[in-house]
Amino acid sequence: MTTTRTPATTPRRRTLAPFAFLAPFLIPFVLFTLVPVGYAFWQSLHRTERTGGTFGRTETVFAGFEQYADVVSEPFFVDSLVRVALFGLVQIPVMLALALALALLLDSAVARLKRFFRLVYFVPYGIPGVVAALMWAFLYDPQLSPVVGLLRSAHLDVDLLGPGAVLFSIGNVVTWTYTGYNMLIMYAALQAVPADLSEAARVDGAGAWTIALRIKVPVIRPALVLTGVFSLIGTFQLFTEPQVFRAISTSVTSTYTPNLAAYSLASSDRYSEAAALSVLLAVATFALSFLFLRFTARRQG
Amino acid sequence: MTLLTRTEGAHAPVPGRPRRGPGLSAVPAFVFMALVAGYMLLPVYWLLVSATKSQGDLVSTPGLLLADWHLGENLSALFAQQDGVYARWLLNSLAYAGAGAAIGTLLAAMAGYALAVYRFKGREAVFSVILGGVLVPATALALPLFLLFAEVDATNTFWSVFLPSVVSPFSVYLARIFAAASIPEEVIEAARIDGAGEWTIFRTIALRMMSPALVTVFLFQFVVIWNNFLLPLIMLQDERLYPVTLGLFTWQSQTSRVPELQTLTLVGALVSVVPIVLTFLLLQRYWRAGLAAGAVKS
Amino acid sequence: MAVRNRGSVARRGSAGGVVLILAALSACGGGQDEDDRTASAACEPASGKVTLDYWSWVPGMQKAVDLWNSQNPDVQVKLKSTPAGNVGTYQNLSNALKAAKAPDLSQIEYDSLASFRLKGGLKDIAQCAGIPDAAPKFADWTWSQVDFGAGGKDGVWAVPQDTGPMALYYRKDVFDKLGLAAPTTWEEYEAAARKIQAAKKGQYITHFSQTDPNWFTGLLWQNKAPMFEREGDRWKVTVDRPESRKVADYWQKLIDDKLVATDLQGFSPALYKAWNDGEVVTWISAAWGYSTIRDNAKSTSGKWAVAPMPQWEKGGQQAGNWGGSTTAVLTGSKYPAEAAKFALWLNTDAKALEILNREGGLYPAARTGADLPALKQPVDFYGKQKIFDVFAEASQNVDTDFTWGPTMTDTYRFLSDGTAKATGGGSTLAEVLKATASQSVESLRKQSLDVTD
Repeated sequence: MTTTRTPATTPRRRTLAPFAFLAPFLIPFVLFTLVPVGYAFWQSLHRTERTGGTFGRTETVFAGFEQYADVVSEPFFVDSLVRVALFGLVQIPVMLALALALALLLDSAVARLKRFFRLVYFVPYGIPGVVAALMWAFLYDPQLSPVVGLLRSAHLDVDLLGPGAVLFSIGNVVTWTYTGYNMLIMYAALQAVPADLSEAARVDGAGAWTIALRIKVPVIRPALVLTGVFSLIGTFQLFTEPQVFRAISTSVTSTYTPNLAAYSLASSDRYSEAAALSVLLAVATFALSFLFLRFTARRQG
Repeated sequence: MTLLTRTEGAHAPVPGRPRRGPGLSAVPAFVFMALVAGYMLLPVYWLLVSATKSQGDLVSTPGLLLADWHLGENLSALFAQQDGVYARWLLNSLAYAGAGAAIGTLLAAMAGYALAVYRFKGREAVFSVILGGVLVPATALALPLFLLFAEVDATNTFWSVFLPSVVSPFSVYLARIFAAASIPEEVIEAARIDGAGEWTIFRTIALRMMSPALVTVFLFQFVVIWNNFLLPLIMLQDERLYPVTLGLFTWQSQTSRVPELQTLTLVGALVSVVPIVLTFLLLQRYWRAGLAAGAVKS
Repeated sequence: MAVRNRGSVARRGSAGGVVLILAALSACGGGQDEDDRTASAACEPASGKVTLDYWSWVPGMQKAVDLWNSQNPDVQVKLKSTPAGNVGTYQNLSNALKAAKAPDLSQIEYDSLASFRLKGGLKDIAQCAGIPDAAPKFADWTWSQVDFGAGGKDGVWAVPQDTGPMALYYRKDVFDKLGLAAPTTWEEYEAAARKIQAAKKGQYITHFSQTDPNWFTGLLWQNKAPMFEREGDRWKVTVDRPESRKVADYWQKLIDDKLVATDLQGFSPALYKAWNDGEVVTWISAAWGYSTIRDNAKSTSGKWAVAPMPQWEKGGQQAGNWGGSTTAVLTGSKYPAEAAKFALWLNTDAKALEILNREGGLYPAARTGADLPALKQPVDFYGKQKIFDVFAEASQNVDTDFTWGPTMTDTYRFLSDGTAKATGGGSTLAEVLKATASQSVESLRKQSLDVTD
C-alpha cells in the first residue's frame, strides 16, 4: 500500500492533506460567505428602537422572530412566492428542453458550424444584466419594437410589458440568458458519453433520435438534475431581470419577486426585515431543492 | 445531496469518434439551430446597429436599420469621456474577473479534489455547508459584506470587490464532480507508490486531468464576476475602481439629464461584450487541448 | 502609486481576517449610536489644510469644484461622481453612514432630507459662518425645506441647490392648429385632451407614468396637499386627503377615458419617440425638463412652448415642484465649518451657479440665480420664447408648507406600485392614495416613530 521508503510520514501526511487542500478555499469562504450570513441572521433577530423623539437616538434591540412574523404576514410574501413558483413551473422546463435539444444537436453528427453556434448560444450569458436591459427594453417596447410592430400588422394587439404578459417577457429574457449556459453543462456531459454505447445501439439499428433519447439522455442524467436544481435556485433568487424591467414596464412592482422585495426593504432601511426575508428565502430554496432531488432520485429507482 | 455527486456518465472523454449516423436529417436541424442563433443574436444585432448611430438618430430612426454611420465618432467619444475612464473600467473588470476567476478556480480545484479523493471525517458535512453557500442570494450577502469591510477600513478598495468574488461554492461543487469522474483512484495510488507527495500528485497529475473541466469552471466564474454589479455598487465610491458594468450603469442613470451618455452607454456596452467573446474563443482552444490531454491519460 | 496602495491593503486584508470576525461579533453587540446626533454643535473652523469629500451626480460638477479648489488652496474638495440618488447613491450613503465612512458633503434631494436626518446622517450647520444670514438668499420654500419649516428653531440641515418649479410644456403648433390656447385651468386641460385625441388617433395630451411618483407628488404639491405633517415628535400621514383626492380623481378620469398614454414610462426611449412623432404633445414638468425635451425630441425643434401650470381655481397662481436638491453636510465630517462654507459658495456664487446651470442644467434655488444671463435668453428650441421667465414666476408660487416624511423611499414605492395597478385597470388612483397612506403609517411605525391617526 504505502511505500517502504517513508513508512512513518505518509499516513500522517495523508490525513492532513485534505485539510491543507481545503483550507485555501474554506478560509475566504468562512470570511466572505458564512460570517456575512451569520451577521444577516443576527440582524434578522433584531429591530430598531427609537428614544428621544423623531430625530432622536436609535437602538438595536433583540426581537426574536418578530421580523419573520412581520414579513410572512405581508401580502407580498405569498404573492411573490407564488409568482416565482409559477414562473419556474413554465420557464425551467422550456429552457432546459431547449438547452438539451441544442446540446444533443451540437453533439450529433448533423450539426455544422459547431464552434460558431456554441459561441453564439453562450454570448447572452456573457452580457451583463444592465446591458441586456437596454436591448430588451427596445425589443419589448410598444413604440419601438419591430417585433411588436410585426405582431400588430398581423392584427395581434399585444402589450408585451402589460400585466398579463410581463411575466412571460421576463421568462423570455431569462431563457435567452441561461439557455446557452445550461447547454454548455449538458454538452460537456455529452462529450463524456462513451462512443461505444451509441455505436452498439447503432449496430442494433437504432436511429439518431432513439440514440439521443434512449442512450445519451439517461447517461447525462446527473448533469440534467444539476441544471434543474440550479435553475430552481436561480428562479427563487430571481432579481436582476425583474429589477431591470421595473425601468421599462409599468407592471413590475417593487415586491415582484421575493429577492426584489428583500432588496426594496433594504433600500428603505428596513434591514432586519430584509434579512429575515433573505433567510426565509434560503430555507425555502433549500427545502425545494431537497424535494426536487428526492423526487428525481425516486423516479430513477 | 449524494445524488448530485453520482457521476457515472462523466468519464474521461473519447475524442474523434465517428459520428456519421442515419436518421436525423441535417437540413431541419441546421434550420432549427440557425433560428435559435437568430433569437440569441437579435438583441446583440440591435446593440451593434445602435452603436453606430448618433444620439439624434437613436430614437428617430428604426432600431434595426442602419442610419448615418457614427461608430468611429462614438468610439472615440467613448474613450475620451472623463479622461478615458472607460478604458480603466475595462481593465478593472479584466482584473476582477480574470484574476478572481483564476484564483477562484484554483482554490475550487484544490477543495473539490480534496472532497473527491480523500476520505476523512466530516467530509460530507463540509461539502453540505459549501453547497449551502450556493443557496445564499448575492443580494443578501452584499450589505453585510460592506459593513464587515467597513470595520477593517477596507471598503472602496480593489480588494473589497476582488476577495469576495474569489469565493464560489458552485465552482467547488463542479470541481468535486469533475475530479471524482476524471481522476481514477489507481493513478493516484500508483503515484504514491512511486513516492510522489500529495501536493506533487495534485499539481502534476490531478490538475492536468481536471483541466478541461477547470476551463469550464473558470469560464463560468469569469462571467459571474464580470457581470457582478451589486457588490461593486455597494462597495465602491471611487469611479476609477469601477468595473465596466457599474460604470455603464452610472452613465445610464444620468441619461435623463445628459442624453449624450445614451450613445456612450450603448457603444460601451458593445465594447464590453468583446472581452467575453474573446475569452470564450480563447478558452475554446484550451477546451479542445484539454479534452485531448484528458484522453491520453485514459 | 496604485500598485503601492494595493500592497498595503493586501497586507491589511490578510491580517484583517480575524479582525473581520471580531468586528462582526462586536457589530452585533448593540446599537450604533452617534453622540452628536441631535446636538447642535458649535461650528469652529479648522486650522491648516483641509480636504473634503463630496458626492454628487450633477453632470459637470467637477468644473465647479475645480473653480473652488483653485480659489481655496487650503480647503480642497474631492468630488466623487455617483449614480443618481434613488438609483444607488442614497443606499450607498446609508450604508456609509452605518459604517461611519460617509463623505463630508453629499447631494441630497429635498424629499430625502428628512429620512437622512432620521438616520442621524445630517449635521446641523445653523451655527456655521454665513448660514444664519443665508435664508433670504434662497427661494422661500427651499429654505423652509432645509430648516424643516421651523424658522431656525430646529436647526439648518443643508443648503438648497436647485429646484424644479413646474410648468406646462406644450406643442404650440399642434395647439394652434386645433385652435386651442394653452390651458390655464385643469378643466381646460381636460377639454384640450379630448380635442387632441379626437383630432388624431393615437395622439395623447400627455403620458401618465407610474415610475415617476415624485412627479405625481409635484401635482399634489400644487394643490397644497402635503403628504406628511409633523407636530413636534409625532408624524401624521396626510397622503389621503381631500386636496390629494381631487388630483387623483382628475387623473383617474383622464386614465379611464383613455385621454393619456399609460404605456409610456418617464425618460424612456419610447416616450422620446412619441414626442418626436407628435403622439404626446404636452409634458407637465420642471424647469430642468427643458433640456430633456430639447435633446431627445430634436425633430420638433421650434414647435414647443412653455406656459404656467394649469390651475384648479380660475385665476389661481399655484405651481408645483418636481425634484431639486441640496448640498448637505454629513454627520461624520470633521470640518463642518469648511464644508458649510463650500456648500454656501457652490449654491450662491454667480460663477458656480453659471457652471451648474450650463453643465448640469440646474435651475438654481438662489434668488440671484434667476439673473443668470443664460436664464434671461430666449431659447431657440422653444420658438425663441424666454421660457425661464415662466419658471422664475412659478418658483415664487410654490407652496412653502410642503412636508416630506422620513420614509419617502417607502411611500414612493407604495405610490408607484399602486399606480402600476391603477394604470393596469385593477385599481383607482383614489384607492392608491388610501393604500399608500395606510402602508406609510405602517412604515413609520416600523421605524418606531410616533404616528397620529
